[in-house]
Amino acid sequence: MDMIIKAHDDRQTILVCCGTGCTANGARDVFNALQSKLKDHPDIEVLPVVKATGCNGWCEKGPLVRIIPRDITYCSVKAQDADEIVDKTLLEGILIKRLLYRDPVSKEHLASHHLTDFYRKQHKIALRNIGEIDPAQISDYLEREGYQALKKALQKMDSQEVIDTVKAAGLRGRGGGGFPAGNKWQACRNASGQEKYIICNGDEGDPGAFMDRSIMEGDPHTVIEGMILGAYAVGASHGYIYVRDEYDLAVQNLGQAIKDAHSHGYLGNRIMDSDFSFDIELVRGGGAFVCGEETALMASIEGRTGEPRDKYVYPTEKGLWGKPTVINNVETWANIPVIILHGAEAFAAVGTENSKGTKVFSLVGKVVNTGLVEVPMGTTLREIIYEIGGGVLKKRSFKAVQTGGPSGGCIPASLLDLPVDFDSLTEAGSMMGSGGLIVMDDHTCMVEVARYYVNFLAGESCGKCTPCREGIRALLEILTDICNGQGRMEDLQLMEDICLTMQEASLCALGRTAPNPVLSTLRYFRDEYIEHIKNHYCPAGVCRELTTFYIDPEKCTGCTLCVKQCSADAIKGEKKQVHTINESECIRCGECYRVCAFDAVQLGRRDHHEN
Amino acid sequence: MKIKLNGKEREAMPGESILELCKRENVPIPTFCYHQAFGGQGACRMCMVEVREEGQKEARLAAACTYLLNREAEVITESDRIQRIRRTIVMLLKRRAAGDPILKELADAYAAPDLEAVVTEPENCILCGLCIHACEEMGKSAIWSMFRGIDKRIATPYDEASDDCIGCAACARICPTHAISMEEKDSKRIIWNKSFELVACRRCGKEYATREEIEYLKERSDYGQENLCESCRKKTLAITVKNYI
Repeated sequence: MDMIIKAHDDRQTILVCCGTGCTANGARDVFNALQSKLKDHPDIEVLPVVKATGCNGWCEKGPLVRIIPRDITYCSVKAQDADEIVDKTLLEGILIKRLLYRDPVSKEHLASHHLTDFYRKQHKIALRNIGEIDPAQISDYLEREGYQALKKALQKMDSQEVIDTVKAAGLRGRGGGGFPAGNKWQACRNASGQEKYIICNGDEGDPGAFMDRSIMEGDPHTVIEGMILGAYAVGASHGYIYVRDEYDLAVQNLGQAIKDAHSHGYLGNRIMDSDFSFDIELVRGGGAFVCGEETALMASIEGRTGEPRDKYVYPTEKGLWGKPTVINNVETWANIPVIILHGAEAFAAVGTENSKGTKVFSLVGKVVNTGLVEVPMGTTLREIIYEIGGGVLKKRSFKAVQTGGPSGGCIPASLLDLPVDFDSLTEAGSMMGSGGLIVMDDHTCMVEVARYYVNFLAGESCGKCTPCREGIRALLEILTDICNGQGRMEDLQLMEDICLTMQEASLCALGRTAPNPVLSTLRYFRDEYIEHIKNHYCPAGVCRELTTFYIDPEKCTGCTLCVKQCSADAIKGEKKQVHTINESECIRCGECYRVCAFDAVQLGRRDHHEN
Repeated sequence: MKIKLNGKEREAMPGESILELCKRENVPIPTFCYHQAFGGQGACRMCMVEVREEGQKEARLAAACTYLLNREAEVITESDRIQRIRRTIVMLLKRRAAGDPILKELADAYAAPDLEAVVTEPENCILCGLCIHACEEMGKSAIWSMFRGIDKRIATPYDEASDDCIGCAACARICPTHAISMEEKDSKRIIWNKSFELVACRRCGKEYATREEIEYLKERSDYGQENLCESCRKKTLAITVKNYI
């Protein structure tokens, strides 16, 4: 049933999210369908807008279409919905209920994403323009205070004042290290030499993290403006944006934005008629995770193997081509224009004592609302996961949240009230990293999680230094043994010894943080390791060598759901009859265990059954 | 510039690495990836020491080969922490070169536990990277590391006989664990899947270099014009000088 909304305005705009996620789900078709439908209606304008992928957790359901100024958001839109959207909503002002988001708690249909908890509890600085503007149109950016910060800096501030403002704002690097950006800039400004460089690190590589991609795709000018301000502050005349090779759309949109910034006089010689000149070049990475490490990234730009070097001399003194260099991450740069335009105080008013401003997290895993979440520093994990994220999927119990990417750590339920900032996460044995948050439920095996991340790092360490390369190899072997039921108790001590040396002696931050997945799970979930080793039992039913499944006849209702899911045809049972699992056919994928709504599928001990 | 090295005051040159200072002062520090010809790489991490620069509250761990001294500092080359790190590194590296006497000796010295051996290619390679540097210094860069992470290994591109390789064997000679295999027989040298003709010294008849190496050296310098081996070259030079005098 459709609801009548107030009469339509004369001039309306449809924003079709064309971010990577929505595009994959057919957003371009929707866009084209709307456009051809609208050919008969010149009074309505269609704008394709790239929206942060998964920003509201709706991308998984398909393309998002927004209608402004009335603020209507439609989800899972298909090309064939175009006629109805134009005829009913645009022309008659009728809301199409089936395309609206339905709140899982209140069961209400919400006309706009702005009304959802997911969106209402966020505080957007870095993501302020994403989904609101067309990244290919510099005019869109200019309408939303674009390049005003640059104008202010060039006309009213000297370079030291810019640095002082960034320092006073307390902005810390969003790429993972959390180093105060202002101090970095100051060191580069003070370094001797005429030639200096500015780099934007867009080599986002953490599995499941996509905040930098969204910013580069959805608001490229903010990154460029931030870099120009940085260049003005430290006295650089050339900059590089190093973009992960897989980020095609980001490369495309950044390239367009650089071109437009040039033609508008924001890049190039004598920017905005001042004495300051600056230019930006795009560099595509080669696909190595380690090139997100700044010294490896610079080696890569120089055309050398992407391997880190010791940083006893900082890049601010000897960076790219041996010249003083400021390298900051995409999200850090995106904060700069806001800080310069609205002042340090406004920025520093948000956040905790030592971590100012907001942080963008990519909230993924077993959580109801997945997507990009920008919240003030100091927001608790519970607020992020339960209030914004809507809690654990299928109402299962929360087990851990993995933060900070592959070399981050797993934080248990007992620390859900931890206010998240750079320091609190490090103290908890994890890290901020670039801001990945992966929610895990009770069907997750923490030993297997550690093994998974170590396995990722085994392929992505550069392999240059001994502790990282060989340490990871040894950890991976031990963890694989434990998951296969061949672990020994003394292995735990050995792992801890190796981890310690990796932390103390590795060449770069990748190696120094690589033990985090192991150490954090040993710290908070040691019992699970012991279960695997001593009792040959995987409490989550994940490790195949240690797990069997059986059906509790008391609980089985004979719904046949597990029978349908079983890819090995190992479950037998008629409708409304108790089912049974044929153990010799079972491949222990655990699918029946996960789908059973009656908890009838139970975990058995492998040894126990074999005996 | 004053450096307190293991409690004793020493004079360091600005820009000198901790390792170079220690070598000059006869303070032993174990290394795998350092060579005086190329300086430090910071790869093997055996040379970790503790250093506290003027104005710093706490000592930090640093690789002696890449840490350049530019300020007064206190350096400690032996401590429980350092001992523990070196023990772990020896334990991890010995897996790659189980049969190597140097690693065996170090494993004994540091009481490093035995872990199951890892099969590497080339066998016994500890990935110190010295061979890459030697080849690069020769101006050839015929070998490089390929892959990354635990799959990293040294090879010619696609493991094929390299057009750049001149068979000079600088890589094999610098390798601390003798991991690079080189076969010499019937006036041929086989290295990195490529066979080279060996050239005999015109004075003593000893096969001393490959044809490609000699050609390459002729291109680059006057060296190699006379087709003489190292010792005969010295001898003829001595005779020339003597006759001149």
